[in-house]
Amino acid sequence: MNGKNAWKKAGPLLAVLMALVLVPGACLSRTAGFTSQAAAAKEQVLTLRVCNWEEYMDLGEWDPEEETIDLESGDILGELPLYEEFEDWYYENYGQRVEVEYSCFGTNEELYNMLTLGDVYDLVCPSEYMIMKLMSEDQLVPYSAGFFEESDPLNYYERNVSPFIRETFETHEIDGQSWSRYAAGYMWGVTGFLYNPEEVSEEDVSTWALLSNPDYFRQVTIKDNVRDAYFAALGAIRHDQLTDAAFLAAGDYPEALERTMNDVSQETIGEVQDYLQSVKDNAYSFETDSGKADMITGKVLANLQWSGDAVYAMDQAEEDDFYLNFAVPEEVTNLWFDGWVMLRRGISEDPAKQQAAEAFVNFLSMPENAVRNMYYIGYTSVISGGVDGDQVFEYLDWTYGAEEDEEETVDYEVGYFFDPEADPSEYTITVPADQVQRQLFAQYPPADVIGRSSIMQYFDGDANAAINRMWINVRCYNLNKVPVFGRVLLALLLCAVVAGLFVMRRKGRKR
Amino acid sequence: MKLQFSRKTLGIPYGIFLILFVVAPLVVIVSYAFTNGTGRFTLSNLTGFFADPNTLGTLLYSFVLAFVTTCVCLLIAYPVAYVLARFHWKRRSVLLMIFIMPMWINFTLRITALKEILTLIEGNLAFHPFLNSVIGMTYDFLPFMILPIYNTLEKLDGSLLEAAADLGADSVQAFLKVTLPLSVPGIVSGISMVFLPAMTNYVVLDMLYNSTYIMGSLIGSYFSAYDWHGGSMIALVLLVIICLFTLLTGRDEENARGGALL
Repeated sequence: MNGKNAWKKAGPLLAVLMALVLVPGACLSRTAGFTSQAAAAKEQVLTLRVCNWEEYMDLGEWDPEEETIDLESGDILGELPLYEEFEDWYYENYGQRVEVEYSCFGTNEELYNMLTLGDVYDLVCPSEYMIMKLMSEDQLVPYSAGFFEESDPLNYYERNVSPFIRETFETHEIDGQSWSRYAAGYMWGVTGFLYNPEEVSEEDVSTWALLSNPDYFRQVTIKDNVRDAYFAALGAIRHDQLTDAAFLAAGDYPEALERTMNDVSQETIGEVQDYLQSVKDNAYSFETDSGKADMITGKVLANLQWSGDAVYAMDQAEEDDFYLNFAVPEEVTNLWFDGWVMLRRGISEDPAKQQAAEAFVNFLSMPENAVRNMYYIGYTSVISGGVDGDQVFEYLDWTYGAEEDEEETVDYEVGYFFDPEADPSEYTITVPADQVQRQLFAQYPPADVIGRSSIMQYFDGDANAAINRMWINVRCYNLNKVPVFGRVLLALLLCAVVAGLFVMRRKGRKR
Repeated sequence: MKLQFSRKTLGIPYGIFLILFVVAPLVVIVSYAFTNGTGRFTLSNLTGFFADPNTLGTLLYSFVLAFVTTCVCLLIAYPVAYVLARFHWKRRSVLLMIFIMPMWINFTLRITALKEILTLIEGNLAFHPFLNSVIGMTYDFLPFMILPIYNTLEKLDGSLLEAAADLGADSVQAFLKVTLPLSVPGIVSGISMVFLPAMTNYVVLDMLYNSTYIMGSLIGSYFSAYDWHGGSMIALVLLVIICLFTLLTGRDEENARGGALL
């Protein structure tokens, strides 16, 4: 009875509480409805759903005092997030209001799972292998013919993309269709080692076998990611073949290299597994994101790293007067790209939406915006500029060019990226000698590193399953490793635990 | 306007919660676990689990890790709880708070700090991955062991101990015959609050550089390889193990009213 009375008293109170929660919510949704209705009457707002890597776009709010990039062609300063600036830019140039819904993902696999589970986006930015996978599954919308029209001044991507990137995107195909039809590049780079030059010799870091080098027992980290680990392991196992003079001199070297680095035969997977097993016993750890911090704090001496993250780590370390280098092993390096692709399910044959998506890519490809992104995130943009300004090259010189009183300088050629046909001296910058092993090297690797780079395909079906199985084999504790007495001990322990629980339960009941 | 709530209507929010976040996911997991890529019913995921030395090895590794963690937690927590509960400190609640305070700090932050401390002590963390994992888990779960034990000990009727003394028991005997048996519910409750999470909390291992998978990370690796079916089966088997464990200990937990302070 008492209880019931209590409820009666509490009733009105609860009602008030609930009203407090519910009423403002209802009001909010109503006003939102009104404003959007009003807007619709005036003009329709298009929503563009963009999903990008975390921390992979300039979000503005730079300090004008400290961070203005004062290039010859004008100052560059990030004030607003780029995707917000795009909204105004699009209205000015296309006369249509657009609203960007910007969200982020953490890994390619996470993005793929999000798409599988029903999340809908118009424009996403996965890595090359995920682009290939999405292409082969017919999930992508090809770029329109207008996007490739160089005469259109708004086609910043087509007009300013690096010839090197353009060629790579055109010559690589999936199911007979080149990537360039479906993907526009965003950032690119290679893999290598970030290392502490005081502790690790150049010779040791010049091979992927550093990972299993006992001289660095528990002092090298590797990526916790099956593709990067597989690639590095293959580089180490195939060292002799990959550095053989005849192999290097052969006419079909690039194709042979790519074949070797995409070998997923049973025996090769077995070899990789054995090698990675030894890496697990020798390395410091498999890391997802802690590698950079561990390099900077000196916990490890070398770290398998992507070039962009290496730049970031080198910058951070420098602030504490600690200097790290970046090296690309002599065997091979993994050339990777992240690119913008339009999803069929999001665009759904809406030409207005596709136009906005393509314009978004073009907006990001304006040389000035490419520089802002590079400054903000440390990765290398696929944009080289030229037609719409030389800000990218100027920025390179601004960042790395030697001061006049610099003692040791070298000339560094990056013509392959900006314009292979121009005189090499035109795209050569004079830099402090140590930059040849540091940020500049990571951001724009020299032509010989690019020469020994290979793209890693996506693996499907059985190959994918076999590689993932291999990875689980490496990472799991195998039951067969337990000796016989261990098993007996274990069985006894298990029995003891269960018996103990039973006894306790009995006792509990007795009480 | 007169509003009246019966108990039934007041239960609706929780009912909705239950269906959305407990029942629905469970149905999804079960359906994934017993189907293959084409959506057909299959038992191959289940047989695959028990035929694979890797999953069984991982189960064993997780079990041993959780077992050692639980033992260490118990060895530390019992004396602490005993001292806190039996001796009449002036500021007992302050003392207790000190032990609970770590829980107020963000988990990632705590483990990162621990990582630095351990690096200072050990020099190189990678030499003792198992030990570090145990330390990390103990650090993380210790309050969950202390609180339920403290609760039972604190409510223990002091006259029982006086009676034991009157009947000629010395302090050791009184502890073994009276205090310990009466604190069993708290111990059991603490064990189940430490042991089960310790089997799957792979973030601790990740952050402290133990490269060997435990159950949580194994499920994650299945998912990132797009194998929802195999991953769901592992999750389901784990769930069954936990259910069995809870069935065995359930009754005592009720008595313990553990975690009432949480």
